[in-house]
Amino acid sequence: MTRKLRCNAVALGVAVALVLTGCGGSDNSANTSANSKGLEKTTIKVGALPIPDPVALYIANAKGFFKEEGLTVEPVTITGGAAALPQIESGALDISQTNYVSTFLAVSKGKKIKLVADSYQAGPNTFNIMVPKDSPIKTVADLKGKTIMVNNLNNIATLAVETQLKVAGLTKADVKFAEKPFPEMGAAVNSGQADAGWITEPFITATQSGLGFRKLVDTMTGQTENLPIAGWMATEEWAQKYPKTLAAFQRAIAKAQQLASTDRKEIEKMLPTYTKIDAKTASVITLGSYPSELNENRLQKVADLMLEYGYITSPIDVKSVIAAPSAG
Amino acid sequence: MISARLLRGAAGAAGLLAVGELYIRFVIGDDAIFPAPSAILYEAALLLIDPDFLAGLGTTLTNWALGMLIAIGIAVPLGVLLGALPPVERAIRPVLEFMRPIPSVAIIPLAILLIPVDELMKVSVIVYACMWPILINTLYGMHDVDPLAKESLRSFGFGPLAVLARVSLPSAAPFVATGVRIAAGIALILAVSAELLAGGTAGIGVYVVQASSGNRMDLMMAATFWAGIFGVLANLVLQSGERRLFHWHRVRTGAQES
Repeated sequence: MTRKLRCNAVALGVAVALVLTGCGGSDNSANTSANSKGLEKTTIKVGALPIPDPVALYIANAKGFFKEEGLTVEPVTITGGAAALPQIESGALDISQTNYVSTFLAVSKGKKIKLVADSYQAGPNTFNIMVPKDSPIKTVADLKGKTIMVNNLNNIATLAVETQLKVAGLTKADVKFAEKPFPEMGAAVNSGQADAGWITEPFITATQSGLGFRKLVDTMTGQTENLPIAGWMATEEWAQKYPKTLAAFQRAIAKAQQLASTDRKEIEKMLPTYTKIDAKTASVITLGSYPSELNENRLQKVADLMLEYGYITSPIDVKSVIAAPSAG
Repeated sequence: MISARLLRGAAGAAGLLAVGELYIRFVIGDDAIFPAPSAILYEAALLLIDPDFLAGLGTTLTNWALGMLIAIGIAVPLGVLLGALPPVERAIRPVLEFMRPIPSVAIIPLAILLIPVDELMKVSVIVYACMWPILINTLYGMHDVDPLAKESLRSFGFGPLAVLARVSLPSAAPFVATGVRIAAGIALILAVSAELLAGGTAGIGVYVVQASSGNRMDLMMAATFWAGIFGVLANLVLQSGERRLFHWHRVRTGAQES
């Protein structure tokens, strides 16, 4: 009963707000008006984190790649894959950035999501376990019984750490994981709340230069070498409803990925425009790579690792999760 | 008297900032992860010429104002209605008392899931949160109406609507104003929280999300600083409005001008 009441109250607020804002749905109908390219929808909202991974979205916007396709893209800052999933389901976002582990976890729980484009792949030293400068931990084996801080439990972070523990003859049962957002992690590890942290850029550079942290191990080596990290997702329903819009998005993103992977300067130029990473930091941080095609063999590796380490209980055929770009 | 109070307040804030500055600069030193107050104030000043931040400030404040207006539009008439009809109020009261303490921030994830238009979602959670203080204060105001005044008007042959307009509403107005002032602070919390949780194209909270991902604690604190300043300003404006409009109320209740 209480939940119903709460829903009613929310619905009441919605109804009133709708009346007062003059019906929020009106801009959707404008999107579907006739356009030269025959797109089902010409204006789309795309969610992206303010980090280097989705740089192609902003490159494509700045270089006019979306415009060439007859597409207007409104980038929306999201706060994480977990929050973005309900947003693409509700229709607040058309497409969103996602990390592949989150996506496959959601798929294993029956969510109807399609991966529509690749975005970011790990490179050497893009995701490291870092320890304070005077830490007694010298090797991965020394982590036994220690606490490792990660940004999310049961996600890419713990998976990557587990692959390194395995090399050292340990399992996740030998360590403790604690959760902390990246921005707070350096300070938390430094003050002794944990013994080590799984950290990515620009925080690797920041903790090295600011706190004197040292790298214990690069977690993107061995089983996780060149691990696909992030891509773009839409709901299955959306992908079926707007195939031409999707294809246009895919072509423009692929073109921008191509540019990002061949010219680092383009990335460095773009980062200060949509993140708070300044030009100086942008020029020194370590970046992964930006593949221009969604390759199912590479992505399958992620799903297989998740199965091996018990993140999912039954295998996922990645091919079924990909909305492949249509030819032409 | 007001200026003396402001002076004392300013001295307190300045003292706190000075202690913070000295502590961070000299006690913690180079290891400090938290920027010193001077660094934050410097960035805060720069934010005033940052078009991204100004757009965000505009978006957040628009949501704030819209949410407040809608909440007032719903809660005040509802409060007056319930206050004028005691049996209905008695029936609904337990539900209100149950829903009121639910932390409004907790409904944001639900709102993200249910409301597909981002701005609408943010305004809706503000409306939801602001309704309670305004509604409850309006109800109290309606209860506080002097029964003798009501009876006098009635005995002179005034109808119930006239009694409502001439006695109950003016008498309840100061309570409504207090409710609105409390709601203004809550609305700001919700406006920024919704942005922190849901993201968006612009907003103070969106700016904070971007700054935190870029390891810019100074920018996070600078944006937060302006949110705080706005909260203080809104409170001051509403408070002085209350003082001016309802001077008679303070005299009647014997409240001190402290």
